[in-house]
Amino acid sequence: MKNKAYVPYFFIAPAVILFSVFMLYPILYSFVMSFQTSVGGIMEFNGIENYKRLFSDEIFLKALKNTFILLIIQVPIMIFLALVLANLLNSSILKFKGLFRVTFFLPAVTSLVAYSIIFSIMLMNDGVINQVLMSLGFGAIPWLSDPFWAKASLVLAITWRWCGYNMIIFLAALQNIPDQLYEAADIDGASRFRQFFSITIPQLKPVILFSAVLSTIGTLQLFDEPYTLTEGGPSDETLTIGMYLYQTGFRYFDFGYASTIAYVIVILVAIMTYFQFKIAGDSE
Amino acid sequence: MKKFKIIVLMIMALSLFVVGCSSSDEGSSEDGKVELVAWAWNVNVGALEDAMTMYQEENPNISIKVEDIGRSDVYDKLSTGLAAGGVGLPDIVLVEDDRIQSYLEAFPKGFANLSELGFDQHKQNFPNFKNELASLNDSYYAMPFDAGPGGMFYRRSIFNEAGVDVDSIETWDDFFEAGKEIKEKTGVYAMSLDKFKDDPTFRMMLNQLGIFYFDEAGNIDLTHPKAVQAMEMIKKFGEADLIKDVDGWNGTVSATVDGSTAAIPFGAWYYGTIIDQAKDTAGDWGVFLLPAFEEGGNRASNLGGSSFMVLEASKKKQAAYEFMEFFTTESDVQIMAMKDYGLFPSLSSAYEADIFTEEIEFFGNQPIWKLFADEMADVETPYFTKDFSIGLDEAIKAQASVFNGEDPATALQESANRLADRTERELNQY
Repeated sequence: MKNKAYVPYFFIAPAVILFSVFMLYPILYSFVMSFQTSVGGIMEFNGIENYKRLFSDEIFLKALKNTFILLIIQVPIMIFLALVLANLLNSSILKFKGLFRVTFFLPAVTSLVAYSIIFSIMLMNDGVINQVLMSLGFGAIPWLSDPFWAKASLVLAITWRWCGYNMIIFLAALQNIPDQLYEAADIDGASRFRQFFSITIPQLKPVILFSAVLSTIGTLQLFDEPYTLTEGGPSDETLTIGMYLYQTGFRYFDFGYASTIAYVIVILVAIMTYFQFKIAGDSE
Repeated sequence: MKKFKIIVLMIMALSLFVVGCSSSDEGSSEDGKVELVAWAWNVNVGALEDAMTMYQEENPNISIKVEDIGRSDVYDKLSTGLAAGGVGLPDIVLVEDDRIQSYLEAFPKGFANLSELGFDQHKQNFPNFKNELASLNDSYYAMPFDAGPGGMFYRRSIFNEAGVDVDSIETWDDFFEAGKEIKEKTGVYAMSLDKFKDDPTFRMMLNQLGIFYFDEAGNIDLTHPKAVQAMEMIKKFGEADLIKDVDGWNGTVSATVDGSTAAIPFGAWYYGTIIDQAKDTAGDWGVFLLPAFEEGGNRASNLGGSSFMVLEASKKKQAAYEFMEFFTTESDVQIMAMKDYGLFPSLSSAYEADIFTEEIEFFGNQPIWKLFADEMADVETPYFTKDFSIGLDEAIKAQASVFNGEDPATALQESANRLADRTERELNQY
């Protein structure tokens, strides 16, 4: 058998072609569309008008603000919670580890829409959460209709869904930290807390960074939860950039401007990731 | 070099294969049989299929495949198909009236001009507002189908328990007093509404008052004193705790079934949902027209309704038109759709049928269809324009702000300003 140099290309061709048709082409074409607008049903170039429009578009700025509020509050809470849970599950005295692991990870495998709908039913005005609160003597909370509580509900829902996922990643990483480090710390008389902050967290730094980057990207693209829980309401208080993109494209048929928004998300993700690497990352 | 050529050839062959997948077979087959494809949802699917059975008596070679793909999927697939230049689309599509103008504006070459195919001769058979919604520049692009004359669907037992006489309710203020009475005596809310996510009651009120988000010239009319009046009325009900806040369509239906609301203001099509979902309450229902804003004021309104459009890219345009012309203008078809599927016709000749004088047992032997049919002639045209979706978005936001404590005039002004920014339309000053 002679080795023919083109044989490998033959094997990668299907993947490359599918990627080009379904990924590369839309990516490039939406970049072109981001400089276009529809005039009587035909896409025409309008320079950087779409990008200029972004800066005076109140709703876009509000969506941007909402997304960043969610990002700044939700991602740290979730990462920290996931770290604590992973640490507890990793401890040698805990029993039924498998059960707890599965319980915490289960939300990550439920369908996005199904869990959002269940949350919306539980958070309704006369939903189960308010009924519990009222039977305990508290007032009912307008979970989905008050600007503040609607955001809080989103944070709650997203944290519930993704915490376990990050926990599993941390748990895997924890098991790679050599025991000697903890033994040495024990001998030096370091407390559990001190060990957590001075050994566990520094050792997990690359993994935490990885999780933070993934969560940031996920939050910047956030769509399902606000779409099913609040539809972006009340009065756009939970509108995210992802939802605004969908509305602009598919509800208002403004595909040009929607593409512009998509590219803004890309740019934001790039910038955020760059800074996260800059601040937390090593030279690698 | 030769190898390179082989690779290029292979890639070309594969891409041809991929492209080939997307083009479908078109036109009629050799034996003269034509199969039309339609996209629709819900009860409309059955109506189309049954109508085809009636049509086949004269036209045995025609058949129809109705793809029942949910309302929002129809719109998503239609938008993407039209944006891609008419690929993968059916011959016929059902579109709600409030969306027709936005599709025509966004895709002016996407739909068949039905006036050119001869639909103008049916003009006098449809109410004025339907004709206006179905056409652009005096040409039909949609064939008017069902309508949603508005009414208050109410529970007789709850009104009786509170001792409220329906006939005495003429204005919204009357209904407000009745609502307080009902709440006090039975603990039941007067109306239900998805306070923060939808505004059907507000839209019906605007329609009653002869205005809408936009006026005839396409200017923004949300700050019209009558719009403020309507929003203030909704706020008044809200503040007196007479509105049950429901979550989406399912919330509305469950409030209807469990009797936690005394009345539900909706279009005539809600009849179908009530008889289907609230079977245990047969005979306990009734309908009265929406109360007027002042004594003797207009009580006619319309919410919802849809029309059929024929795709310009269809290879079977003529056959599709002929069948849909039969569907929309033949009284028997419309009466069938009404009887079997609860789709209220806008075709006026259909109203002569017996069913429009029948007493409906489920509704306490009230002849409700007569009520709705009589209402149709007085319905004003709501000017949806191409920007209806954006207008709806802003109106819902105004309503949400009002329920969160803002003053109706301020909330509507803010929404109107945003709407002006987003649509580049003129804002009417009052």
